[in-house]
Amino acid sequence: MAEKAERSVVEVEVPLDFTYNYRVGQYLERYIKGLGEKKILGVRCSGCSKVTVPPRNFCGACNRVMDEWVEVGPEGTVENYTIGHVKVERGAVEKLDEPRLLAMVKLEGATVPLLAEVKGMAASELENGLRVKAVFKDPVSDSLADLSHFEPVGQEVK
Amino acid sequence: MRNVAIIGVGYTPVFVSKRKDVNIVEMISESVGAALNNTGLTPDDIQAVTYGNMQTFEGVNLPHLWTSDHMRALNKPTIRISTGGTTGMSTLQAAYYYVASGMYDLVMAVTWEKQSEGDSQVGLSGIVVPEAMTMVQHGMDLFSGKGMGFGGGGSTGAASYQAMSYLHHSGASPEHIDKMAALERSNAALNPYAHLRKKTTVEDVQATPMVAFPLRFGHTCPTSDGATTAIVASEEMVNKLTDGNVAWIVGLGSATSDPCTANFLEGQITDPAEQMPAKIASEKAYKMAGIEDPGRELDMCEMYNGFAHQSLMWLEKLGVCKEGEAHKMLDAGALNIEGEMPTNASGGVFSTNAIGASAMNRPTECALQIMRKIEGGHQIPKKIKKALSHGWGGMFQYVTVMVLADEPVSS
Ligand SMILES: [Zn+2]
Repeated sequence: MAEKAERSVVEVEVPLDFTYNYRVGQYLERYIKGLGEKKILGVRCSGCSKVTVPPRNFCGACNRVMDEWVEVGPEGTVENYTIGHVKVERGAVEKLDEPRLLAMVKLEGATVPLLAEVKGMAASELENGLRVKAVFKDPVSDSLADLSHFEPVGQEVK
Repeated sequence: MRNVAIIGVGYTPVFVSKRKDVNIVEMISESVGAALNNTGLTPDDIQAVTYGNMQTFEGVNLPHLWTSDHMRALNKPTIRISTGGTTGMSTLQAAYYYVASGMYDLVMAVTWEKQSEGDSQVGLSGIVVPEAMTMVQHGMDLFSGKGMGFGGGGSTGAASYQAMSYLHHSGASPEHIDKMAALERSNAALNPYAHLRKKTTVEDVQATPMVAFPLRFGHTCPTSDGATTAIVASEEMVNKLTDGNVAWIVGLGSATSDPCTANFLEGQITDPAEQMPAKIASEKAYKMAGIEDPGRELDMCEMYNGFAHQSLMWLEKLGVCKEGEAHKMLDAGALNIEGEMPTNASGGVFSTNAIGASAMNRPTECALQIMRKIEGGHQIPKKIKKALSHGWGGMFQYVTVMVLADEPVSS
């Protein structure tokens, strides 16, 4: 049986320009301002003592607003990591020239780890338990990007 | 089925165009916290959570799961409901089903919208594509005529056809739309949880620019940020946990017709002002509630009205009065807060539209009127025994109805 040819009946072009206006809320705003002063801020739950970084407003487990602000880090420990070999650019996967080291870093004084990039070391040396230190942008720009990355403790900050 | 009551309601402190001070989950948390405070319950008491907001309006996927701890849903069953404009009431109906079925005794329904963070016109254009496909299926030419209704300015353009049809069939005049708009905006001025809170005259409304005849800018609703939570309980829990001052859900219904946004004018399948689902859903709800003569037995109405002509239209479609009578009730003052059939004492969706919460705020307004717990100046003076709430939306064709009462139908 001959295959029936397909025919496009109508083509509708609906260009969408979607701008997110996501409000970060007061907690993340204070966190970002802290980064601008080269401080990493978390918030402690008065119920379970958990210190969350970045800070969030509410502890569901304890049903209470978390409102005790604490400074954590700048040093911490790698708790978990992955090594990225590709990047996704406009939906297309491209190989990276250099692998990127991505780690979950538990900062001094924090209960939960912070997702961050680690630089200044070979991928083969990255392991759980590694001590790292926050590197801030200089000068700071009062944005999330002020916390640039982490480097192994003892290495010179670039 | 078991008797079910609304035992408490929680609103965000305000409904405004931009809540810049909180993020989405923090805003939802405010209304959930208020509902728990108002009932003296803790999250441990709540057995399940239903959750509703519009698809795509904030561009956030799985928002119910993102919100889980802020809305005290940890370790509990959580389901998201999204039925368009009716979302709020569908979410409350789902909570009702949980309790009426006997599965749970205390369920929380959480509804919200934070329209300032997304783009509702982009959200609505997600509806355009299926509309276009339906039109093709119906053999319509997409490009020769006035498809989509967007010539008249988005959803207002589409609603203008409905308003014209309503005026034609009812004998009401465009001035009645102005008058209803002024009444509801003035009611909203008394309601601390309303968004547009300004005492408004007919002349104020008539001074606003025409968008798509007969609808003026002053006939359209705002886009709002806000959240509403309601807690529903079984009769056993009502007796155990409350002083009995609750609002019983005594009847509900919902129904759909085929899509009837104005793009179908070219094929004219269904008149957007016909709204047969309103008749079907309300008849079901009245039967369940034991109501034989809604116009006499109901004490108040809360209508879903994105546009100012709709409260009048719904009074007729929901059988509160005969066709062509609503504008006469308006002229006679019957729809005022002190009137025989106070309608949208809250100011309606027309004055406050955090879409996911909009069809929830109708039954919660009724519940608080019954419980005489209205904050602000819009408490209806007479005793409310039976109240009608209504939701509407989708492709202009989905209707939800809920009847609330000061006592259960059978006990
Ligand atoms: Zn806690």
